[in-house]
Amino acid sequence: MSESTPSFFARNQFLIYRLFSLSGLLPVGAFLVVHLLTNASILGGAASFQSRVDMIHSLGPLLVPIEWAFIFLPMLFHATVGFVIIANGMPNVGSYPYVGNVRYTLQRATGMIAFAFIIWHVIQLHWLGAPLGGGKFDPHHASSSASLALQSPLVAILYAIGVLSTVFHFANGLWTLGITWGLWTSPAAMRRANAVSVVVGLVLAAAGLGALGGMRAVDIEQARATEKRMEEVKRLLEGQDPAAAPAASHPISQKRGT
Amino acid sequence: MIKAVDSHSTAADAALGAHGNGHEPAARRIRVRILRQDVSGGESYWERFEVPHEPNMNVISVLQKIAAQAKSRDGRAVAPVAWDCCCLEEVCGSCTMLINGRTRMACSALVDKLLDEEEEIELKPMSKFPVVRDLVVDRRRLFRSLERVEAWVPVDDSYDHGPGPRISPEDQEDAYPLSTCISCGCCLEACPQFNKIEVVQRDDETAEAFEKRRKAAFDAAFVGPHAISQAMLFNSHPTGKMIADERLEALTDAGGIQMCGNAQNCVAVCPKSIPLTRSIARAGRAATVWAIKKLFDR
Repeated sequence: MSESTPSFFARNQFLIYRLFSLSGLLPVGAFLVVHLLTNASILGGAASFQSRVDMIHSLGPLLVPIEWAFIFLPMLFHATVGFVIIANGMPNVGSYPYVGNVRYTLQRATGMIAFAFIIWHVIQLHWLGAPLGGGKFDPHHASSSASLALQSPLVAILYAIGVLSTVFHFANGLWTLGITWGLWTSPAAMRRANAVSVVVGLVLAAAGLGALGGMRAVDIEQARATEKRMEEVKRLLEGQDPAAAPAASHPISQKRGT
Repeated sequence: MIKAVDSHSTAADAALGAHGNGHEPAARRIRVRILRQDVSGGESYWERFEVPHEPNMNVISVLQKIAAQAKSRDGRAVAPVAWDCCCLEEVCGSCTMLINGRTRMACSALVDKLLDEEEEIELKPMSKFPVVRDLVVDRRRLFRSLERVEAWVPVDDSYDHGPGPRISPEDQEDAYPLSTCISCGCCLEACPQFNKIEVVQRDDETAEAFEKRRKAAFDAAFVGPHAISQAMLFNSHPTGKMIADERLEALTDAGGIQMCGNAQNCVAVCPKSIPLTRSIARAGRAATVWAIKKLFDR
């Protein structure tokens, strides 16, 4: 009866946990860094953000498989194993309120917050969420559509919590990843690595919150004009009729436009 | 210098005196509450005790007094509280319990310091091991973990093999702290990734079948920081490292090194200040190399 062979998960536990650890950095963590820095480009103006979005969308039809292979699926894998790990742990900060233990608990809490936030975030802004009443981000009107979606103070507060949780989870995870893989082994090396992780976390937190503030501060009319001009230039360069540009093709920007 | 010390102790004495004269009776009494359990698997319940205070008491001497009087605070005759202890100098590792909510050894828990924290001393059995009775727990899994990682040097004959390989003073210094582990289980108690496993013998089960089932349950779960550190100790030993691969195989098996959640409580509570997280990170590095070797060398 207890002779039954261990489950697939038990047999490959080491491999699965190591892939989990790796996936937090590559590709999920790397994507987070690119994503937050791209968003922070809004601080350089609507045109600066729009040109970066255009660069990403220049992948054209490849964008969807790339998104799934390098962002959504690794993230789902990381989240699934993460929930198994959370379920198997018994946080005890009450009895042992050490810094490391607080971080252990926060890592799990922020992981769950990040999971919920990212699902909401994707539904709200990504086109996948359009059938659910979301999908508000329009890559042709990057700054104006993002700004519109983030105007509500409640949304902004939830975004700040979500972004900070995600950044903490990544920065702290970077530090634990180095221990897991044996990159830093001595207490002194762990302290140095910790300092680096803190800096990474602070830079990303600044980028994330900067992006959030920057998006909300966008002058929507002006941004829309910029986006329209850029769209026309793009179409001209592609040899198409600039007048046929989808000036306000997006339902959201049409509805709340003027 | 001497004067300063003198004046300090005088002030302390005066404070103690004033305290004693004022509110408390001449013989100070210590209040203790103990989470008791009569049989393994039974219900646990709190019982309160009171014993006279003596200078330099530790928790073991409090327990000895409680056993001697075998009476609860409200005067009922109760069975003496059971506990484990042996060396009374923080070397045997057998008297670990939860004192004021934290894992530590009873022999080195001084009563006067505890009373600075709380008015009443709270004693509970370790929560990660099955209770045998009162404060006595079954720490079999702790030792099973050491078996899993083969925490020994595999020499078991009586032939003269000549002198062993030399170990450099640097390596000795590196290994020595790891060898001071006393299997007290504090690291396991504080670890949020090491959870209690209590396997109960079924009515129709033979002793052998039960033992087998219990081992299987132990072997699927986290080995714990102590065993990881011992594996690293013996993998660094010139003779012990002859079976280094077997230890790494065990550490990368189900319940191995990957179960560590990097809370680092183990190193914080270790009474011997063993660099457990350094051992864990080294085991992580060794496991990384081992896994890559296994992948490409097969």
